[in-house]
Amino acid sequence: MILSPAERSYLYDSLSVQPPVRPDARSAHQFRPIEASCSFLPNSNGSSRVRLSDGGEAIVSVKTQVVLTKNESSLISIDVDINKERDDSNFIKNLISSLESILLKKFPIEKLKLTERYSFKVYIDCFILSHNSYPLGLLSLCIYLALKSTRLPLLTSTVNDREIEEQPTFNDDWEASKKLFEPSEHQDDPPLLFVVGIIGNNVFIDPSNEEEEVSENGLIVGFANGEIVPPVQSTNLSNRDSKGISPKHILKAYSMVRNCGKEVVKALNTVVSSDDDVFTSIY
Amino acid sequence: MEVYSPEGLRADGRRWNEVRNFKCHINTHQNSSDGSSYVEMGNTKVVCLVSGPMESPSSGRKPNSSSNLTVSISMPSFVSNSRKKFKKNDKRIQELCIFLVKTFEQIVIMKNYPRTIISISIVVLSQDGGLLPSCVNAITLALIDAGISMYDYVSSINVGLYDTTPLLDLNHLEENDLSFLTLGVVGKSEKISLLLLEDKLSLDNLEKLLAIGIVGCHRIRDIMDQEIRRHGNLRLSKITNK
Repeated sequence: MILSPAERSYLYDSLSVQPPVRPDARSAHQFRPIEASCSFLPNSNGSSRVRLSDGGEAIVSVKTQVVLTKNESSLISIDVDINKERDDSNFIKNLISSLESILLKKFPIEKLKLTERYSFKVYIDCFILSHNSYPLGLLSLCIYLALKSTRLPLLTSTVNDREIEEQPTFNDDWEASKKLFEPSEHQDDPPLLFVVGIIGNNVFIDPSNEEEEVSENGLIVGFANGEIVPPVQSTNLSNRDSKGISPKHILKAYSMVRNCGKEVVKALNTVVSSDDDVFTSIY
Repeated sequence: MEVYSPEGLRADGRRWNEVRNFKCHINTHQNSSDGSSYVEMGNTKVVCLVSGPMESPSSGRKPNSSSNLTVSISMPSFVSNSRKKFKKNDKRIQELCIFLVKTFEQIVIMKNYPRTIISISIVVLSQDGGLLPSCVNAITLALIDAGISMYDYVSSINVGLYDTTPLLDLNHLEENDLSFLTLGVVGKSEKISLLLLEDKLSLDNLEKLLAIGIVGCHRIRDIMDQEIRRHGNLRLSKITNK
């Protein structure tokens, strides 16, 4: 998006006053409205779709496969695909590395363990239909929903195959399948990433396209189980030259993410619990 | 697996002349495209986004040399049962795009859109047979939503042959086992605008398949027409209530 010098200066000034005035009248800790649904792909273990009010939309599918644990370097594989964009672009590579950096560290791997020898391998495939602002926050919400809606078949064979070699067998009945993340146990939720924009002394969550254009810097903050978790990365949201971040900004961003994170998780969990039928249409 | 039982039932419980559950919606992505639609044929789910008519980026250089209508199909790696990465220039996908362009160049009133581009982008969410038919149906709906002038609807379906029995609207398993043809029909007429037959089929069975296919296409057209009218009425009521 190209802003004229006048627009740029107006946006910059209104976002740097105390409290910031955002172009869509949100408060600094408020998200844009999202539309979300999950469990609609019949071929996947879990799936979700999230759409922002600016038209940005992502679809995530979670598929699993039984693998020999010792043959796999990682039990989680993430792939991002953007409509009409090259697979090997730097933009996509950066998104994947940001997502990997949190998911590989904060994913409760022991949930994937089947027996002594075998595990589930989780393939997270993200597809971005369209995006206007930096899509990392959107993807993270979508991945959270997809993982929360993931169902795995129930293991019927023995868990201990240390002595006797045995292939794991599963219950055919999909009704008996178990959720990867049970709704009752909240201590092991999948991690989330939040994008925070910085202008002047202000920080604001979920920046829109115009806000990204004038922002001086951006932060990516990880959040899991009610706490801030590493990685915390700085990122350039606009192509203009950026300014440095002071520790004050980071502390502000931390407290903001800690407060909104809980609300976001609560909202997403309601989506998961209300949407649990593969035969519903997604639109 | 038994494709067609002696009692006249297929593996998924349908009779020979029954189509799968067909669902469609238009105007699903009003903020990110000029026209959009979502089509579900059984477990095949397709989203179509149309942008245009818009100025072509290279209109100065080559006004009429290439087509003004472009189609691109994206297949994310999760579409089929087993995970498979599709390349952007996959030959099969390129071929499908060409069929779709050829079909819709004849249906869209192209003389109304000189020196402009209509770009159609299809995203397949889930693949269970009948990919080309669902793309055709989704494009028809999305073009209507974009307000692009067309002569009529094109509706499409595939028909397979089991021994001497024609089977309507095949799913993925049936497509693998039977020889089948895909046809697209213009509106309520018997004009065939798209016909694709990639397997061997005896000539005396062809007429039978075409006959049931045309009936199937008309049925699909009716469902699509219903959805368009439902959406039109919804918009009208929004305007009149203001």
